[in-house]
Amino acid sequence: MSRLRPSCSGATLDELLRVARLELDPERLPGLGPVVDQIYGLVDQLDAADLGDVPPATAFDARWE
Amino acid sequence: MGEKVNAVEPYELSLHEAAEQIREKKLSPVELTESVLGRIKAVDERVGAFVTVMQDQAVRAARTAEKEIADGAYRGPLHGVCIAVKDLLDTAGVLTTSSSRTRADHVPDTDAAVVEHLEAAGAVIIGKTHTHEFAYGVITPTTRNPWNLDHIPGGSSGGSGAAVAARMCQGAIGSDTGGSVRIPSAVCGTVGLKPTYGRVSRRGTTSLSWSLDHLGPLTNSVHDAALMMDAIAGYDRADPATRDVPVPRHTEQLTAGVENLVFGVPRNYFFDQLDPEVESAVRAAIEQLAGLGAELREVEIPYPDLYMPAEFGILVPEASAYHQEALRKVGDLYEDDVRVLLEVGELMLATDYIKAQRMRTLIQQGWRDMFDGLDAVLAPTLPAVAARVGELAFTWPDGEEEPVINSYVRTSAPGNLTGLPALSVPCGFSAGGMPIGLQIIGRPFAEPTVLRVGAAYEAATDWSDRRPAGLS
Repeated sequence: MSRLRPSCSGATLDELLRVARLELDPERLPGLGPVVDQIYGLVDQLDAADLGDVPPATAFDARWE
Repeated sequence: MGEKVNAVEPYELSLHEAAEQIREKKLSPVELTESVLGRIKAVDERVGAFVTVMQDQAVRAARTAEKEIADGAYRGPLHGVCIAVKDLLDTAGVLTTSSSRTRADHVPDTDAAVVEHLEAAGAVIIGKTHTHEFAYGVITPTTRNPWNLDHIPGGSSGGSGAAVAARMCQGAIGSDTGGSVRIPSAVCGTVGLKPTYGRVSRRGTTSLSWSLDHLGPLTNSVHDAALMMDAIAGYDRADPATRDVPVPRHTEQLTAGVENLVFGVPRNYFFDQLDPEVESAVRAAIEQLAGLGAELREVEIPYPDLYMPAEFGILVPEASAYHQEALRKVGDLYEDDVRVLLEVGELMLATDYIKAQRMRTLIQQGWRDMFDGLDAVLAPTLPAVAARVGELAFTWPDGEEEPVINSYVRTSAPGNLTGLPALSVPCGFSAGGMPIGLQIIGRPFAEPTVLRVGAAYEAATDWSDRRPAGLS
């Protein structure tokens, strides 16, 4: 996971929004891109963790009562 | 640094003081409720803590409580005292907006589980308090800090913190996903408890992040928080996060002191970047607890760089999942700071979200190992006092700037990710007169222990007795 993500602006941002089925007014896009980059950058710091076979901290309880 | 005042009006009483007077029939619930409503009328125009004041319902509930008590049917310490509830929690027949224009007319049919529990205990629900919109922020822009109206009350449960600090209720309910009970508690100078994940049902509460949401009390004393926990804690099949763990009497250990308890003091993370005044107050509080007989041990907080990535990696996509339909239908009605984060969450990969959930597992294991031999960990609740209204970032002594939201969530997120109980108690004031909080983090479901520690510290100091001076 060493490659950096592309900056989320222009065509990249347009395509991500299209895949997410989220239509936004064009004037929102310049403000959105940098925040997407910030959150991606934050989450990418998790690459530093050696997760091995660690399961997610979620569980499902199959009992009915 | 505030005023020490002997209570003269009923609204000034703490929860346990009011409860004692009601039990002894020296104070009637109607008298208390009318006094509290008068206080709200006198000061809330300036503070802005309430979305809705439930005047008629509150007076009716107080009359019912008064009659029940007169008839010998006293229900316990919450009977007839005034409790405010964050506007994320459903209240049957009462506007529940989440402080959002998207829910300006939303009136639920049923009560949230916590509201049911409070009413069953005889509490008078006095009103609904403001939140940062949908609990997604730490500012609560509708509301001001009673200690200085030029400062924020924190958030997202800013209305609850401000209402308690300004004595507009005897206690309040908040929610905490990234610190939203502890942040307003610390900056408004109240006690605030984020219980263990799964200790209090979130049924009927609008979610910010299912994995991280907790509900807990904000009060003017540790004793009061314990009394509220006695009423609201417990298993609920309708909230899959709750655990069927026996509920203790939260008041039982409050006078047990801290002798021979062992506290971890972080040598990293919590003290890495903070206001020197906050550090000084928190370290003095820790030394005070040592002076009361506790043993201190330095501890290394595991994974210090990965709390914020894990917190936001879980919270952001979960919030967007909850709001997915509304964002498309009424997106223009969200405030811009919330809307942009909801849009970002739409663009995150499922693998990134699951990676954050896996990191949470590692963090939990790291804290379990760190807690070996410890009863609690002591830390600053926040690295700074209340920001001024409009202040966007704090500047640390080394010149580094950090956004207010990052600063406040940084020291709060470990409690949300680990799910451990975390109590904030007042431990001093800045030179500018703004409150500072000490955070006491305990083992899973060890709420009685963190309350015991907080009560010992509170009894040894007078910080919790001080009140904002500028509102009278």
